[in-house]
Amino acid sequence: MEIEQLEIREYLETCSPLDKLSAKTLDEIVKTLEVTYLRRGKPLLTPGDENQSLYLIRTGALELYDTEGNIAAQLSEGDWAGHRSTMLSGIVTRKVMAIEDSLLYIIAAPVFKKLLKEEEGIREYFSERKHERLRSAIKTISNNERSSLISTRVSELSHATPLIVESNTTIREAANRMTNEHVSALLVINSGETNIQGIITDREFCTKVVAKGLNLEDSVDTIMTRNLITMPSTATASQALLTMARNNIRHIPVLENNIIKSMVTAADIIRQQSNNAVYLINEIHRAKSVEELTSLSKQLAPTLVNLVNSGLNADDTAHSISSIGESIAKRLLRMAEDKLGPPPVPYAFIIAGSQARNEQTAHSDQDNALILSDDYVEEKHDEYFLALAKFVSDGLDACGYIYCPGDVMATNKKWRQPFSTWLAYFKKWIDEPEPKPLMYASIFFDLRCIHGEQQLLEALQTKVYKRTKKSDLFINLMVDNALHYRPPLGLFRHFVLEKTGAEQKALNMKKRGVVPIIDLARVYALKAGSHVINTQERLDEAAIAGVLSQEGRADLKDAFEFISTVRLKHQAMQIENGKIADNHVPPEELSSLERRHLKDSFEIVSTLQTAMERLS
Amino acid sequence: MFSFFTNPDKKRQALLEKVENEILKDYLSTPFPDLKLPASEVEFLALDFETTGLDASKEAILSIGSTLIKNGKIKLSENSHHFIQVNREIPPESVVIHKITDDRAMTGEHLHDVLALLLEKMKGRVLLVHYDKIERNFFNTACKEIYGDTPPLLIVDTLAIAQKRQDKRPQGFSPNSLRLFNLRADYGLPRYNAHSALEDAIATAELFLAQMANGDGLERVRLKDILSK
Repeated sequence: MEIEQLEIREYLETCSPLDKLSAKTLDEIVKTLEVTYLRRGKPLLTPGDENQSLYLIRTGALELYDTEGNIAAQLSEGDWAGHRSTMLSGIVTRKVMAIEDSLLYIIAAPVFKKLLKEEEGIREYFSERKHERLRSAIKTISNNERSSLISTRVSELSHATPLIVESNTTIREAANRMTNEHVSALLVINSGETNIQGIITDREFCTKVVAKGLNLEDSVDTIMTRNLITMPSTATASQALLTMARNNIRHIPVLENNIIKSMVTAADIIRQQSNNAVYLINEIHRAKSVEELTSLSKQLAPTLVNLVNSGLNADDTAHSISSIGESIAKRLLRMAEDKLGPPPVPYAFIIAGSQARNEQTAHSDQDNALILSDDYVEEKHDEYFLALAKFVSDGLDACGYIYCPGDVMATNKKWRQPFSTWLAYFKKWIDEPEPKPLMYASIFFDLRCIHGEQQLLEALQTKVYKRTKKSDLFINLMVDNALHYRPPLGLFRHFVLEKTGAEQKALNMKKRGVVPIIDLARVYALKAGSHVINTQERLDEAAIAGVLSQEGRADLKDAFEFISTVRLKHQAMQIENGKIADNHVPPEELSSLERRHLKDSFEIVSTLQTAMERLS
Repeated sequence: MFSFFTNPDKKRQALLEKVENEILKDYLSTPFPDLKLPASEVEFLALDFETTGLDASKEAILSIGSTLIKNGKIKLSENSHHFIQVNREIPPESVVIHKITDDRAMTGEHLHDVLALLLEKMKGRVLLVHYDKIERNFFNTACKEIYGDTPPLLIVDTLAIAQKRQDKRPQGFSPNSLRLFNLRADYGLPRYNAHSALEDAIATAELFLAQMANGDGLERVRLKDILSK
């Protein structure tokens, strides 16, 4: 019968979640598969009817309605229908109809039920419990074997042509050359030949020269290691690392067409693997000029790509990216103080928004402000603080953190004020809320002091939170604010599916994706009287305080992580393609599985938005 | 109106009284479906032959693939695929098309065994093929050779259905557009690996369902409206 050669089987093999099945199980499915064709406009499933079939769309498209008759989803190639009724009572509750001529593959209920029983992957995929499905998806992303070590070739890591010396070179000379050229290894050849005879690394100087008290005027061939271990340039970084570990070495010459072209070292691999955010931050702290900082800031985008590609989760990635921005701002503040002298009165430099929450991604503007001590006298002191604010703001702009379009920056006099004025601002926002001040309120509830007198911000926040907790009116308006952006229903081919129909456009993963969750978390935190500002931490504290259920906390955290991952992956891909990173994800960029998980995430957010709406 | 000789069920009954061969007798003893039945109530055996050439009097069948349409659904559980033993050289130009080599053909089953299985599957059903000349002629030749008689057949031809529809168009048609591959593309059906007998049988079955869905619908079409003459 040669089932395995059938094109239908080849297709099934590519479909989630069948792609996880063994060849034998897949054969069993193909053997009992049925095929049907449905004309556009015809119903597939009608509420009240019995259904004992699981449908897979091979070509065409279906529309799924909710129990009230509203469009709930549009499904296309590789999507499934009928699983709900088959798994539950066998009675259809939601209408499904063809919106294009569709070729459908049918898996009969007994086969499907057997799969559900025996295959965890199938069970998870069709689970009605969105959060379980999403959680397993997140687990898969972070366990992704696509680790940078496996995907990176040693040729990408190794640096230029290794240093070569002749075998009669003295140990002293070799040591001098290594020091001068900043390398930790040399290759040795015989005079007049090209064959590599051996390798000398910094370790030979320790274990042989010093430990054995050798004469520095001896030739290098007395200390070199002769059995050279090499690797082809196509070997992966993880193979190199294993070879190093097994042979207790830290340098491996890399061959191209059997000629040594370069050298890969343990340090090269470590630099690749450990997020070089750490390395970058270190360099930022050592930078001596704005120009130097500007040039370092160019590494932010490649660092983001690195972090995303190494499979680091979205939370940690955003945290690393935020730390880089924070370091740049801190460095600029120190430079400003060096230039302008010590501040005349104490101050707190505060950052706001995503950077304060440690949720920054590639594309970002600057939001900052100054809280000055009440000893501040405008006529005497403002010249200093304006200069400081301007120095930092210009520096940030030069480093790619563009000026805030809403002018929420310390250069704006409104946001460069003493403590008592800030307190008056917040009192007004809380007691007499209006739309524009509310927008400020949402910015100024996500604040962090990164330089100066921490207590200025803490004292302000203590007073503010006492007030907000008592003000139902303010919290209600913040709720309205949090419901401003709603996620879409889902994605369909190259369309974003809205309640009002499908639109051909990219999905703004910031406004429609993460912002609704950030806004919800802020309100929960206000209700809980919590001072933390990171979204995930806010959700945790809200759950502890009892203003959010444990389930709601876990679901929102998963949704946030998944949406953030999609957003970061999109940005990393744009950077890799030489484009400027943005938040607009075209639906066709996503796999059918990613769309499914996004749809789950959006549903979670919608459910909690609705719950919040009802409570207020 | 069917005359005595063109009405297949009459021909079936007439031949049944005459034949001796048990296999053929068995096939003929099952009535054909009523021609007035809606197509949705008819079982279709989608069939494809791969052959060494086009002329049934000179060439041989290399493989036979079939699947079943029942209640408007293709049942892959009813798939069948047989390679036939051919004890002569296969023209290289045909090997390019069907990928069946001499070695493969040597190890195949005997045609009379496979034909018996096919007749068993055909009982009470309508054959569904794309371009009925090939299957009809090769089938008749094989039956004549093995049983000494050619049993009557009910055949639906997806090419003839397509041709009939294209004839209605003012601009006419190109013969190329009637090829299975191109007709499938017209209905948005996926590309299959052409020229495996089973794959082509499934491809024909899907095309038929698409043709019916895009016409009056399987429920409203009667068998006699689509039968190949």
